[in-house]
Amino acid sequence: MDETIERQIRAYASERRFHSETVDRWLAKADEDVVALWELTRELRLGENQLRDLWDWAEEIAARDRKTIAAVFDSEPVRLALRSPGGRNDRVKALKSSLRRLRFPSLTKAQDRIGELVASMHLPPAVRFTVPDLLEGDDVRVEIVARNPAALAAAARSLADAASAPACGEIFELLSGTPDSSSSD
Amino acid sequence: MSVAPQTVHPTTLRRVSSARRVADEIDSIEIEAGEEESAVARRICERLPGIPVHVVDNQRNERARDFSAGKRVLAVQRHRGTFLQHCPAGTTGMVCCNYLVINFASNCPFDCSYCFLQDYLANNPSLKVFSNPGDGLAELDGVLRQHAGRTLRIGTGELADSLALDPLTDLSGLLVPFFAARDNALLELKTKSTAVDSLLKLDPRDRIVVSWSVNARSIIAGEEHGAASLDERVEAARRVQQAGYLVGFHFDPLIAHADWEEGYRDAVESIFSSLDTRRVAWVSLGSLRLTPRLKAAIRRRHALGQVLTGELVPGADGKERVWRGLRLQMYRRMLEWLRAVDASMPLYICMEPVGVWEKVFGEAPSDRDVARRLVAQRT
Repeated sequence: MDETIERQIRAYASERRFHSETVDRWLAKADEDVVALWELTRELRLGENQLRDLWDWAEEIAARDRKTIAAVFDSEPVRLALRSPGGRNDRVKALKSSLRRLRFPSLTKAQDRIGELVASMHLPPAVRFTVPDLLEGDDVRVEIVARNPAALAAAARSLADAASAPACGEIFELLSGTPDSSSSD
Repeated sequence: MSVAPQTVHPTTLRRVSSARRVADEIDSIEIEAGEEESAVARRICERLPGIPVHVVDNQRNERARDFSAGKRVLAVQRHRGTFLQHCPAGTTGMVCCNYLVINFASNCPFDCSYCFLQDYLANNPSLKVFSNPGDGLAELDGVLRQHAGRTLRIGTGELADSLALDPLTDLSGLLVPFFAARDNALLELKTKSTAVDSLLKLDPRDRIVVSWSVNARSIIAGEEHGAASLDERVEAARRVQQAGYLVGFHFDPLIAHADWEEGYRDAVESIFSSLDTRRVAWVSLGSLRLTPRLKAAIRRRHALGQVLTGELVPGADGKERVWRGLRLQMYRRMLEWLRAVDASMPLYICMEPVGVWEKVFGEAPSDRDVARRLVAQRT
């Protein structure tokens, strides 16, 4: 491995007070993965916890898909995230989101579909419709905000219409784990 | 302690052969001072000739011992607490099958990458066999007499593999007659081994269920280090079933890996094609579940394989499982394949809340009903 990169990594880690175990684990990786992690860290000025979160996901994706960490970071969705507009925090957020999609393909697909279905119900802003965090449960939560009886009645009517729409039925099916919800294809 | 050389008799060759497989994994034997003459200690020393034996103080501190190294030390010691406990899987909010565990050993010679013992026994990792199983049976006898009107399901395979060390200990020779003589208890011997030879000579009288933890072939090959292959487990099950035992199977942990559908369907077909399903006591399903500490231990001790790369998310009990939609799908597919084999085989799910039971089975029985059904259906 290029000694210059190792020196740069050690200097950066020292300046940011990374744990020595993190640096040892990093430098023990294959050369191309060491470099890929360094380029990402340097470009986004990652702290240790940020780096470890992204690294763990990338490593798990790489193990599952039988590729290198470098190849994961070089994949199209990740490169797009790194080129996303905005500042450093926005790009870190976009990167995390893109890795999450790769790491949890069927879960994010189901969450995306539920998001589309909720939007298609055209609920007014006064009605908030929430599904369980990480889809771990059967129950949806509905919150209505109203300042007077007429507003409450209007929100309730919208909700009743939404409840009888096919989209609502599909949301509950997705929460029940119907086969389509779990396919990552 | 000196150990006399052993003469191997032709009739014991098969058992010694199994003992040798275990012996390959043992570096030394540690016997608690005062237990050297116990039947268990003497038997182990006879069957593991050539392995160094040390007599040790029972207060020794094992914390410094690495988990992998701990598995290579076979410790014989007196058990001083209660032997019988409720299954630790019975957690608030989860449907529970009211299972009891009785511990005659601790830790396991196999090294499954997902095993919870890596965390649970992290500070106490040696492979232990208790020298006073008679005390455990006396305790159990008292409990069974107190609860004469109930049938209890009791297993030895929670903190240890029930049979892997049987070629060394002959514990089955104590347990099977004990349970065969009682009408209000079922013993479950749960294993990933093929060490059933001792069982074949005993009469179980329908009070013993020999069960195997099973998985898809790729999971067994990649994650269950040292354990028997699927075909070897099925062959062992066939042998004990022919000898009059009830058998059981635990598809636990179900692991969402590439091609899991093909893998688990093949496992179901391979297992039940050569068995009499009317003599299957129960089949359980359980999704992989990981505490944060277990996950860290797996990362530390094993290559990143099929266990940690699934879509695992934390649940209400703090454990990570594959996300619910996929979990439900896996349970439903398993149920479909198992029902196609024999719709009357008793099935249950381990460590899942009422909502998951309802989605899979269309009902959520009480804990007591689950337990009652499991003892009533085949016995």
